[in-house]
Amino acid sequence: MLVCKSKSPRREKLGGPGESVRVRWIRCSAVVRLPPPAMDPEGLELERERHVLFLEMMMERLPSDFETQEINHLTLAYFAISGLGILGALDRVDKDQIASWVLSFQAQPRTMSDLDNGQFYGFHGSRTSQFTIDDSEVSSHNCSHLASTYCALAILNMIGYNLSNINSEAILISMRNLQQPDGSFMPIHFGAEKDLRFVYCAAAICFMLNNWTGMDKEKAKEYILHCQSYDGGFGLVPGSESHGGATYCAVAALQLMGFINADISSKPAKSVVVDVPLLVDWSLQRQAADGGFQGRANKPSDTCYAFWVGGVLKILGFYHFLNKGALRRFLLSCQSKYGGFTKFPENMLPDLYHSYYSFAALSLMEEEGLKPLCVELGITAINDNGI
Amino acid sequence: MSSSDDDDERIPFIQRPEWSDVRPVPQDDGPHPIVPIAYHDDFRETMDYFRAVYLADERSRRALDLTTEAIGMNPGNYTVWHFRRLVLEALNVDLHEERDFIDEIAVHNSKNYQIWHHRRWVAEKLGPQAADKELEFTMMILALDAKNYHAWSHRQWVLQSLGGWEKELDYCCKLLEDDIFNNSAWNQRYFVITRSPLLGGLQAMRDSEVSYTVEAILANPQNESPWRYLRGLYKGDTDLLVSDNQVSDVCLKVLKTNHNYIFALSLLLDLLCYGFQPSDELKRVVQFLGKIEPDSSDANLATTICSILETVDPMRSNYWAWRKNNLPSEVC
Repeated sequence: MLVCKSKSPRREKLGGPGESVRVRWIRCSAVVRLPPPAMDPEGLELERERHVLFLEMMMERLPSDFETQEINHLTLAYFAISGLGILGALDRVDKDQIASWVLSFQAQPRTMSDLDNGQFYGFHGSRTSQFTIDDSEVSSHNCSHLASTYCALAILNMIGYNLSNINSEAILISMRNLQQPDGSFMPIHFGAEKDLRFVYCAAAICFMLNNWTGMDKEKAKEYILHCQSYDGGFGLVPGSESHGGATYCAVAALQLMGFINADISSKPAKSVVVDVPLLVDWSLQRQAADGGFQGRANKPSDTCYAFWVGGVLKILGFYHFLNKGALRRFLLSCQSKYGGFTKFPENMLPDLYHSYYSFAALSLMEEEGLKPLCVELGITAINDNGI
Repeated sequence: MSSSDDDDERIPFIQRPEWSDVRPVPQDDGPHPIVPIAYHDDFRETMDYFRAVYLADERSRRALDLTTEAIGMNPGNYTVWHFRRLVLEALNVDLHEERDFIDEIAVHNSKNYQIWHHRRWVAEKLGPQAADKELEFTMMILALDAKNYHAWSHRQWVLQSLGGWEKELDYCCKLLEDDIFNNSAWNQRYFVITRSPLLGGLQAMRDSEVSYTVEAILANPQNESPWRYLRGLYKGDTDLLVSDNQVSDVCLKVLKTNHNYIFALSLLLDLLCYGFQPSDELKRVVQFLGKIEPDSSDANLATTICSILETVDPMRSNYWAWRKNNLPSEVC
C-alpha cells in the first residue's frame, strides 16, 4: 500500500545522500564478497545472507529515495526489524537503541484530563509529524497515528521490550476518540480516510496491550462484515472492490477480536455474518497461473499478496489448499540480486515493503531458515509480557 | 509543481528575502535514529521552515505556498496537509482554486491517500454542485488506470454523498466494453444496481443483469469477474440461484463447448451442494468431460466434478480433493 516514487533523478554520489539502493549494494557486497545468485529458476534458493545484508543496509541508512515515505518512518523500521526477525538475524541489531528510538515517538498527555480533549495519544510515525512542545503551549501539535502506534508496539514486542512500561492507558482511552459511529476507525484525530486498515491497527493494538477498552469490538465487527463484497473478499470500505490487503485486515482483525473462533460463519444472523466458504473460494482463486497471488481478480500477481491472501488462508485454516511449490517459485523469481524482493518478476529494484512481505510469505510456508510468524499480528516472537 | 528542471532553479529559503524574519526549526532526531533517511538539503530545509510556521501557527499566504512546496517533496505528509487545510480556511481561499491545484498534482500521485482525502474534503465543502466535476476527475484518472482503487473509492463516495447516479450504469457498460476483464468495473456495476436511488434495487434489476452477465460469460468463460457477479445477483437468495434456469443453463452451455469450463464446473458444484437437481443432459455432458461411461455407478455428479477439477485446475487440486471428501450427505 505504500508506493515509493522517486520524483526526479538525482545524481548518485558514492556514499552521498543521492546514493541509490543499487549503488549502495554494489559497494557493500564488494566488501562482504557474496557469491552471485543462482540463475536457474528451478534451482533458486532463498539467499538468506543477501537479504540480511540488504536489511542491515536499510537499518544503517535509507537512501534519499525514501524521502517521500518519510512520514511512515516507523513503518519502514518495522519492515526492516520484523524482516530481520523473520530471517533470524535480530541479534545483529541494538535492541536498546531501537527501544529508545521507538519510545521517543510516543505522544504523552500532560495530564489525565488531556485524554478527554478528543485527541489520540499514541505514537507518531516520524519526526516530521512530531513537534517539540513547550510546556507552556497548548498541546495542539499531537499528530500521533494509529498505524504508527501499531508499528511501534509491534517493534517493541519483537525486541522483547516489556510493554507494561508503556503508558497504555493513554493509548487505549484516547483511541476510542478515533472510532466512528459505524465502527470504522480514523487513524488520526484531525481527520483522515477511514477504512479497514485502521480497524485492523486498533484491534492489533488492543491485542498487544491485552486490553480491549480501546475499542467497541461489536461495532468494529459490524463494520468489517459490511465490507464483505458479493464475491466473498473484503473491500477497504463497504461497497469497495474486494482486495487482498483489505481481506487480510478484515480476517486478522476478526481473529484478534476472537470472532473467528466463535465460528462466525454458522451463527444465525441477527445481522450479517461472514460467508466463509465464498471467502475461501475467492482467496484460493487469487493464486494465478504463474503461482503468485493477485490482490484482485484479473490483476497481475504481486509478491505482497502472498502474505496478505496467504495470511487469510492461514488464519482460516485453509493454507494447505494453496499450491506452495508454485508460490515459492514465483516468490523466488522476484528475489533480487541486491537482496530483498521486487513486486513483480520483471521489476528491476527491490523495495522494503515487498521484501518484507515476501519474507513473511515464505515464513508462512515454513521455508527453511526462517522464523515462524504470528500471522494475525505480523510479528515474530510474541513477547511473554505482552500477552 | 516541482520537476527535475525546478530542482536546479530552486532558491533555498534562507536566501529568500520574504522569509528572512523566520527562524527555521531543525528536526530533532532524538536518540540514535534507526533506519535514518539520507535527506537532501532542500527537503530538510523545507521541513525546517514548515516546522517554524506550524509551531507559530502562521496561517498566511506564504504559509500556504510553503505547504505547496512541502507537498511537492513529500505528498504523503498528513501533517502538512492538515495544516494546509487550516490555512485554506483561515484565508477563506476559493476552494475551486484548490480543486484546480489538486487536479494538477493528482495525476502523478494517483495512489496517494492524502491527496484523495484532501480532494474529498474540498468536494464536501463545495457540496452537491461539485458532483459533476468529481465524477469527471475520477473518470480522467480511471482513463489512465481503469482499476485505480482510490479513484473508485472516491467515485463511490461522490455518488453516495453528492449524487450524480444518472449515467453511472452507462459508464460501467463503457468500461466493460473497453475491458470485460476489469473487475473494478464489475464491482462498480454491482454498486450501482444495488444502491442507486434511480434504479429499483437488486430484485428489480436482476433479470436484465443476468442477461448481461450471461452474455459476458459466454464471450469469455475464463473470465472470473462475471461468474462472481452472477452469483452476487442472487446474494442472500440461494433458493433462487438454484431454481433459476438461466444459471444452470449458462453452466451447461459453457460445458458443452468443452473449453474454459473451470468456473462453470465450480458453480455447478455449488449448485449441487445447495440442492440443485441436474437434468440428464447436464449429467451426460459432465460425464463426457470426466470420461465416465454413461449410467455407470460411479456417476455421482458432484464427485465427478471434483475429480475433473482436480485435473483441470491443478493449482487448487488440494482444495477440490477436500471438497470431494466434504460434500453434503444429500449429494453423495
